[in-house]
Order: sequence, then structure tokens, then C-alpha cells
Amino acid sequence: MGEFLELTGIRKEFGDFAALKGVSLGVRQGELLCFLGPSGCGKTTLLRIVAGLEVQTAGTIMQAGRDISRLPPMERDYGIVFQSYALFPNLSVADNVAYGLVNRKMARPQRDARVAELLQLVGLPDAGRKYPSMLSGGQQQRIAIARALATSPGLLLLDEPLSALDARVRVRLRGEIRNLQQRVGITTILVTHDQEEALSMADRIVVMKEGEIEQIGTPEEVYTRPATPFVADFVGKTNLLPAAPAGSDGVQVGPQRFACTVNGAAGEGKLRLFFRPEDVVVRGVDGATANSAAATVEKVEFLGAFSRITFRLAGIEQPLTADLSLNDMAEFHPKPGDTLRIAVPADRMRVFAA
Amino acid sequence: MSSTAHDADLTRLGARVGVLKVHWSDRVGHAILILAAVALAYFLLLPLAAILVKSVQDKAGEFIGLANFTEYFRTPALARSIWNSVWVSALVTAITIPLAFTFAYALTRSCMRFKVLFRNVALVPILAPSLLAAISFIFWFGNQGLLKGLLMGGQIYGAGGIVISMVFATFPHALMILVTALSLTDARLYEAADALGTRAARKFWTITVPGAKYGLISAAMVVFTYALSDFGIPKVIGGNFNMLATDIFKLVIGMQDFSKGAVVAIILLVPVAVTYVVDHWVQKRQSALLSARSVPYVPRPSRGFDWAMTGYCVLIGALLLAVLGMAVYGSFVKLWPYNLSISLDHYKMGLVEAGIFDAYVNSVTLGAWCALFGAVFIFGVAYLLEKTRGLDAFRPFVRLMAVLPMGVPGMVLGLGYIFFFVREANPLHFLYGSMAILVINTIVHYYTSSHLTALTALKQIDAEFESVSASLKVPFWRTFFRVTVPVCLPSMLDVSRYLFVNAMTTVSAVVFLYSPKTMLASVAIVNLDEAGDIGAAAAMATLIVATSALVCVAYYFLQVWLEGRTQRWRG
Repeated sequence: MGEFLELTGIRKEFGDFAALKGVSLGVRQGELLCFLGPSGCGKTTLLRIVAGLEVQTAGTIMQAGRDISRLPPMERDYGIVFQSYALFPNLSVADNVAYGLVNRKMARPQRDARVAELLQLVGLPDAGRKYPSMLSGGQQQRIAIARALATSPGLLLLDEPLSALDARVRVRLRGEIRNLQQRVGITTILVTHDQEEALSMADRIVVMKEGEIEQIGTPEEVYTRPATPFVADFVGKTNLLPAAPAGSDGVQVGPQRFACTVNGAAGEGKLRLFFRPEDVVVRGVDGATANSAAATVEKVEFLGAFSRITFRLAGIEQPLTADLSLNDMAEFHPKPGDTLRIAVPADRMRVFAA
Repeated sequence: MSSTAHDADLTRLGARVGVLKVHWSDRVGHAILILAAVALAYFLLLPLAAILVKSVQDKAGEFIGLANFTEYFRTPALARSIWNSVWVSALVTAITIPLAFTFAYALTRSCMRFKVLFRNVALVPILAPSLLAAISFIFWFGNQGLLKGLLMGGQIYGAGGIVISMVFATFPHALMILVTALSLTDARLYEAADALGTRAARKFWTITVPGAKYGLISAAMVVFTYALSDFGIPKVIGGNFNMLATDIFKLVIGMQDFSKGAVVAIILLVPVAVTYVVDHWVQKRQSALLSARSVPYVPRPSRGFDWAMTGYCVLIGALLLAVLGMAVYGSFVKLWPYNLSISLDHYKMGLVEAGIFDAYVNSVTLGAWCALFGAVFIFGVAYLLEKTRGLDAFRPFVRLMAVLPMGVPGMVLGLGYIFFFVREANPLHFLYGSMAILVINTIVHYYTSSHLTALTALKQIDAEFESVSASLKVPFWRTFFRVTVPVCLPSMLDVSRYLFVNAMTTVSAVVFLYSPKTMLASVAIVNLDEAGDIGAAAAMATLIVATSALVCVAYYFLQVWLEGRTQRWRG
């Protein structure tokens, strides 16, 4: 309770297909919450349900203490930005931004001031007299945001707002949108399939898969303590190994035993061991180091700030990856065929039931 | 918990599930849509039902089951007309579609010069009543025709004359649809293909044709049903070759056998089911071809291809003009083929002094009403259908009514109107014999093509405009007037012009509906031809062409002016 927006038991069925299988979550006042997941996970459907553009089969939505479950879009309180921008091509930028203000019978000078303020806010103070077709994609998207914010809605919905833009613009706009959102302080839901976008922009991330929530957490939580193998795999690069239980403080992978915390996953049956490439250590590792093993280097990929090493451990079929810094590379300069002693700190490993 | 309380709980839950409260502004849209649907039902479905009823009654109005049908099929001369109609229409479609597609391709995908000229020449047949082609071919190849020798003893009167006249008449109808279809491609698809080193032929079959598929099927259906239902051409040049449309006329007007006429009308209606099923099937597969970010296709010059396309267009254009030109020439010739001196006799004596000029005035009035009222109504309904929400179960019914007229031959619609409105019990009986019924009938008759044009234009618009408006608390009609109408205005003008010209030229539906006061120019041609006054018939046809052409020029300048005004935002 006390959440700004509260979804409870949202289900959506298209015929026999369940797009959302009972989703419940809360969005806090002023935060940027991100729905993250692969296409078809139901994230866009969920956003459209919040907007009233789709109707849930079951479930309730409370916004600011008001039950909006059955309200048409016109009676809800939000601004929305689509991937396609959906700017009105025959209206000038200023008229686009003022579109929702005109209906509120705001006096002309006040309206013009508000438009100027918003254009300033999105960093395009001189674009007012232009038409959308004269602007670049990134500029059009910022106008779309200005239009959505013009009426000072309580909630901002962003449906894959950056997907249509090229990488550089996307990265820059990411920061700008986040900055804007924090300055305005508007509660925001962002839908994206881009994990980097989610990690860099969100206060909290909702990772979704096949109509269900896999995990809700801060970017750091989702990244470092994924709740499920799916989250581990979808967010960031990951090594996931089939494992067997080996006592209360470790797992067995082939001939290799790894010491780690086994939490609730411990028990009978198959397990999966997870660690990230950047958690692999090579510096100061010897035979005595915990969780260390001799790795055979198979491939070295230079990726700028770091290099990605593909290697194998004796008796384990699956190739693994490690990200080594330039310093590590300079010191150990591993080449395919070399043997390198590696270790993974126990607190960086996580174990899931398979 | 008691069972009643539990039930109440369930009911409340049931009310919540899957339904949003409807905003009052959406109710306005729903009300208009329902009104429009009632109008369509009244002026389309009920007249058709009247035909069904009439077909199972005898002359006294007693129910006699299928006796009329059995009798019809026992009359070999009548039953043969079915086959005649089908194969002639199929042949016309098979000839017209490739000709029109190539022409449309030249207009949209080549860099040949004089595109505007070619386009306008190709659309010339649309300006004329279909009868004009028949009259012209009689001047060229008829018993006293200029080139009769080329037929080597053959006859233009019959299937040959019908097919060639119909190809002329249907060509622009197919062309308009195909040009629209070919204009809708996203250039990025071609750029992607170029990047993959795709050869021209493969691009044509993998991008162009699939992209225009919807248009191709629409065009084929329009041509086929046009040919099937046209009455003027077989009437004038068909000789003893009988088709369904002429049979209806003979049965109803000649023999006053309404029940038999209704039977033929129903047989002519069979293609409706096919049309609807095909259209429905295609539409489900058709998604918006252009998104807000699409890049319009700009053809690149290619010497050989451009010249080949120019050559093709010159050839087709010359043939079309030859047909038109002969009818115009014939209207000025004093006494074909004996006295070829030029005079205005047919206009002065044949039309004005014979008191048939009023028919021309009536036609212009009809055209103006259709252009204004029809375009607004059709576009408004298409918008409400395509872009607003709610009434989900009701919409397929309205969509069906919007595409139904394409499969309803004019003769059938006209006959249905007689049966339905002639009854004094009909609350709108007073419309019978008025100009209003001609206006309504003509709009309904040409509804589908106009509806499809509107739909195509609406589908080009970003699907989220209405969602954005709703989120900004702007009622849909404001967005309709401020954004949708300005963006779609060129297409609306196209629809309006299409309706005007068709109102000027149509014969088939209105041939049953005119009264002495509302006689129309196109119907006058039929009567003049029947009376053997082919010179005056050609004169009236020429008048219609000239008027339609003038109106089209006016529309053209309107478009140019509009383009100048909107150039800034179209970018």
C-alpha cells in the first residue's frame, strides 16, 4: 500500500492465449519503473492496459488511490509516448506540444509560455515553428515527450521510446530522458527490451517472461542477484552451468567442486550454477585459492575496455567466458591454447534449482 | 457466505471483466456510427431483401416458392446469359488488369516524362458513360464503320464489341486502385533489397507485387463486377448477345415480369458472397504499409526502362484517345457516313430542340450532391470504423455493408429500389421519383470503391493518433478535424471527384429510377440510341465527357493549391 500505481492480478487473454497471467506490482511516486523482457513477454500489453488502450480480462488498477480499472483512456491521468512518436504531421511543433492544452481552455499567452517552457525542458527551444518532418528522429521523440508532459499528467508512459533511434542518439537520449524525469519528478513506466537501457535509466526493473514477473528489483539487485536463471541470462552476460548438490556450502560441476552459498536451492536434484564473466579473477590466483582451476584458453576477443576470454575447465564440456581488464591482459596476455589459472569468488556465485 | 451474496459478487466481477466504461465523447462516435449503419441498412439491405421477396412471389404477389427459378432455368435463352456474362467478364478482367498494372507501374515506378499527362489521358474513359465506348466502336467498326473492313466480314455487334468496349471502360477504374497500391510502398524495402544485390525481377516479385497484392485483388474484383453488371455496353453494341444485365432490363421494362427480373437479379448477386469473402480474407492479411517513419519511394532514372514505359503509355493513351475522339467526331458529323461535314445539328436539334437538355442539367445536379454529401458521409464512416473504439461486435456488420455494394450490380440495386420504395407503405415512399433517391442510390452504388480509398488513406496515418489524443483528453472529433481531415484531404477530394463523375456517367442503377422530371443525361443516351439517333447519342455522351473533364480540371487545381499549402509540413 501507499504505492502511486497499484496493479493487482492483471490477466489478459487473447482467445486461448494468456498474454498476462496474473501480474501484480506497485509503482512508487516519482520513480522510473521499467518493464523489461523479450518480445512477447507481455510488457507492452501491460503498459497498454495501464493506459486503457487494452482491457484486462481480470485484475484491478489503482492510481493515486483511485480505481481506474474500468475507466476509458480519456478519464485516466497519464501522458504517453510511442515508439512511432505519433506526432501530428500537419501541425507545427508548438501546436503539437500545445495539443492537450488547447482543450483545457488555457489562455493564449499562458499556453505559449507553457509550450516555450516545455521546449526549453526538452532542449529544443527554437523548434516551435518547425514541422515534425523537419526534425531528426531523436528530436521528434523529445517533442513527443514534451507533448505528453504538457498537461502535467501524474504518470508518464514510454512505450519503447528509443527503439527506433540509432545507437549514439539512443545512449544520449537515455540520459536526457532520465534527467528530465528526475527534474520533473514524474512517475514513469518505461517499456523496453534493451537491458542496458533498463539498467541505466530505471529506479527499479520488472523483468518479465511469458506473461509473468520473474523479478522486481533495483538495477543492481537484478544484475548482481538475479532471482531466476532467466533473469541471469537475459540481463548481462552470464555463465550458467549444470551442477549437482555437494553439501550445504558447495556444488559439483563435473570433476570440479565450487564452494558457494547454496541458499534455498540446496536440496536434491539438479542445480544450475551462475557467475558473470567479469567476476572471474586471474590476478593473485594460485593452487591454494578457493574455487580456482586451470583453464584452457580457446578464444580471445578484444572489446575495447576489456577482452572476453572463452575457456574450458577440465572435465566440463561447456565453454565459459571471462572478461579481463586491459591491465590483466597486459600482465597475463593469454592466447588460444594457453593454460591460465582462474578463480571465482564464492560470494559472486549463485545457485538455482534447474 | 450465502449463495445470493456470492452470486452478486460474481455478477460484479463479471461486469468488471473485459469492459471499460465508455466516455461520453466515444458515445457520440458510436451514435453517429449506428445512425450511418441504419441508413446503409435501409438503403442497401432492405432493397436487396425486397428483391428476394419478389423472386418467390407470382405476379399477384402470392408466395410460390422457387417456381420462378425453375421456370427461369427451363428457358435456355435466359440460362445461357449466365455463361455469357461470366466468360465475358472474366475475359475483360484478364485483359484489363495486366494493361492497367503496367500503366500504373509506369506512373509510379519509372522516371518517364509527362506522367501527369499520361495519367489524365488514361483516366479519360472514366469521364464518359460506358456507352460512349460502344458508340465509338460502332462508328469505327459498325455496319457503316470506318474500319469495318478490318473485321474481314466479322461483326462488332456481339461479344467482341462488348469485351473491347468494356476494357476501355474498366481500364481507369483498375488503374486508380493500382496506382494507389503502388504508391504505398516503403522505399526502405527497396533499399534493403538493393543492399542485398537483388535483381530487378526478384524485387518486382518479392516486394512490388506482394505490396500491391491488396490493390490487385481489389482491382480485379472491381473490373469483374463492373463488366458483369454493366448495362449500357451490351445494350448498345451487344446485338443479339444476351447478358444478365440486359435480361433484367428486358424482363422488367420490356415484359413487366418483375418476378423473373428478381430471379435474374439474384443470380447476378452471387458474386457478392465471393467478393466479400475475398475482401475479408485479404484485409485480414493487410497491415498498414506505411508507418509514420516510412520513406516514400522515389524512382531512379533508367534510360531503357523509362523509354519502354513511355512507349507503352503513348500506345495505350493513343488507343484510348482514338475511342474517345471518334465519339466526339461522330457527334459533330452531319449525317454519318453520308455527309461528313461538321455541324452542331445533333446538339441543337437532337438535344436542345428535342427537349432532352434538361436531362443534362439533372445529371450535373446529381453529381454535385453526390460529390459533396457522399464524400463526407463515406469518409466519416470509414474513419469511425477504422479509428475509433468500442461497439466491437457491431463493426463487422458495418464493414460488410461498406464492401457489399461492390458486389451489387447497379441493375440489381436499381431494381431493389423500385420494389422497396414503390410500396406506399414505405415511410420514405415520398422519395420515389425524386432527385434525392437518385443521389442516395448513386452514393450507395459507388460506396465500396470510395470506402476503400478512404480506408487506404486512413491506414497510412499513424495508428496511435487517437490514443495520444485520448491521453491528452482531446475528444476524437477534434483530432479528426485538425489532423485526420487535413492529412487525408487529397484522398477525400479523390473520392468526391470519383462520385461526381460516376453520377454523371452511370446508367445501370438509375435506368429504373428516373422520373420524367429527373431524366438523366446518361439514360437519355440509351433512349436516343434505341431510337436510332446515334448522332444525338454521341452528342450527349460528348457533353458528359466535357463536363466531367471540366470538373476534373477544377479538382486538379484544387489539389495543386492544396499541395502548395501543405508542402511545408509534408516535408
